[in-house]
Amino acid sequence: MNLKRISILLGKEFIHGPKNFMFIWAIVAPLAFTLVATLAFGTLFSEKPNLGIVDEGNSQLVVMAQELDSVTTREYEDASQLKQATQSGAVDMGILLPQNFDNAVSQGETVVIEAYIWGESLAKTRIILPTTIADLVRELAGQEVPIEIESVTLGDEVSTPWSERLIPFLVLMGVFFGGLMLPSTSIIEEKQKKTLEALVITPTSIGEIFIAKGIMGVVLSVFMGVAILLLNQAFGINSLLLVGVLFLGAIMAVELGLIFGALIKDITTLFTVWKSGGILLFGPVFIYMFPQIPQWIGKLFPTYYAIQPVVELGLRGGGWSDIAVNVFILIGIDILLVFVVAIAARRLMRRS
Amino acid sequence: MTQDTIVADKLTYHYNDLIAVDHISFSVAKGEILGFLGPNGAGKTTTIKILTGQLKPKGGKVILLGMDVAENIERVQSEIGVCFEDTNLYQRMSALENLDLFARLFGIKSFDAYALLKRVGLAGREKDRVEHYSKGMKQRLMVARSLVSQPQILFLDEPTAGLDPISSEAIRNIILEERKRGATIFLTTHDMMEADKLSDRVAFMNQGKIVALDKPDKLKQKYGKRALKAKVSGKNGALESLEIDLDTPQTPEDIHNLFKKENVVTIHSEEATLEDIFIKITGRGLTE
Repeated sequence: MNLKRISILLGKEFIHGPKNFMFIWAIVAPLAFTLVATLAFGTLFSEKPNLGIVDEGNSQLVVMAQELDSVTTREYEDASQLKQATQSGAVDMGILLPQNFDNAVSQGETVVIEAYIWGESLAKTRIILPTTIADLVRELAGQEVPIEIESVTLGDEVSTPWSERLIPFLVLMGVFFGGLMLPSTSIIEEKQKKTLEALVITPTSIGEIFIAKGIMGVVLSVFMGVAILLLNQAFGINSLLLVGVLFLGAIMAVELGLIFGALIKDITTLFTVWKSGGILLFGPVFIYMFPQIPQWIGKLFPTYYAIQPVVELGLRGGGWSDIAVNVFILIGIDILLVFVVAIAARRLMRRS
Repeated sequence: MTQDTIVADKLTYHYNDLIAVDHISFSVAKGEILGFLGPNGAGKTTTIKILTGQLKPKGGKVILLGMDVAENIERVQSEIGVCFEDTNLYQRMSALENLDLFARLFGIKSFDAYALLKRVGLAGREKDRVEHYSKGMKQRLMVARSLVSQPQILFLDEPTAGLDPISSEAIRNIILEERKRGATIFLTTHDMMEADKLSDRVAFMNQGKIVALDKPDKLKQKYGKRALKAKVSGKNGALESLEIDLDTPQTPEDIHNLFKKENVVTIHSEEATLEDIFIKITGRGLTE
């Protein structure tokens, strides 16, 4: 394995890869889908999260909340008004501040906030608002204060907004379309045009060629995953961990792409396989789209282990403990696929 | 003592039940041009693939420049240049980019691509995309690419097939220049005239076996028939052809009688071509 040759081949992929129709398609298609979806569901230019407050005392927190640029705050007279506003979706979250709230906070007592959450509010809103409230309380107290938010979901609880249901699909498409299709079409094109033969007759090995194409695919794949999550404002709070998960998912996509590239003869067959086998890749995201389907079925698909951590971190505000098991399974799949790629590459050399 | 740069020892290869290369052995000396001739499907390309390390032989071994190809593939491939039968250039790159890529893969630091392209007659078109080149230009670029590493052994698979006479002549000149430089050249071709003109020795391959291997002149002596062909004016003025075998005790008398008794219009000697010899040995033509 020669790193210099890999970098030379990688340079070729970066300079000449973008001339390939698949490269353009791998970028344009997922972004176009994302833009259409975000425009259709109005999430691209979505309003700021709406916070409703009922202040039973005279809390400074209301003033502080009203001064925030990132949140729209409305005050309500009583709990029933707040409940109604939350149920109708006028606010994403409504909180009840009890009498002597500020005193309790300043004395460092455990703060219990009763909250109503609109069932159809966006996941990012459900992450932003509690975090903002916690920050405001700490600012008010001037110290770390234990906070408990007792929430009640109002409205259609199980009705996850479509804009949100589509995000895993868009991420998976961005990561897998680029990661899988770019290396596979590139290898198939090199086979068909016999340039692969010309490369392997130099001191370059098939392994070096595969690694260069793989790196190119991973870079594009991670870039697309990040871009789609940013466009959907679904990056969560564990950005680095999320990028790490996207990286592992991209490796899986690229490995599958290299295997397809080595085994499939022409581009037409590749697209047939992509269309017919797509259900195996996209199974988990279709199941996520329809919550009425038992969600455990998703676990039968390998891509579940790439997309579940993204959903958990990006949409549900989860952390490492929520994704650890699935990430380890994903790493296991990645390692297993390395061996399959090696076998496919050897077979490719024998057949060519 | 002449050093052999290519040694093939009992090479065998088969695709399932089809035997492509059947226990062939030969050697090529440093600076020698070996013409490798045979009809389609004779096993020439498979032999090149084995020699260049693209295929692992099912039996036998290949020694190039004193190294076993199976054990030293990377070192061997850094010393050889291959020009393929089919065009396999990066079409969306320019000629310069194609050569530069391969030079860097060979680890060559200082390399004058312009000079090499000028040598193959592509000066002025260096920065054009290859997809805009004619077939002849592409083939010349293929030859140029095989030369970027100044290889010690050059494998040329039908380098002039389907080319115009000018492109063919340009490639033949490069082959001779490379021999002058000291490169060993393994040349497969259908063109008998080309093989005769360029090769120090020729090997005839048929159904996976080498059926003859020698200098072209010696093969002609061994298998060919030397003859004198004459056209004479017949009784009613029509031209008739006569042939006199030059290798019989009767020859002097036959020639004497020809001029004494016949009205000779044209006369010329004829020696066997490599094609004739191939047909004589194998019973089939080279283009079959």
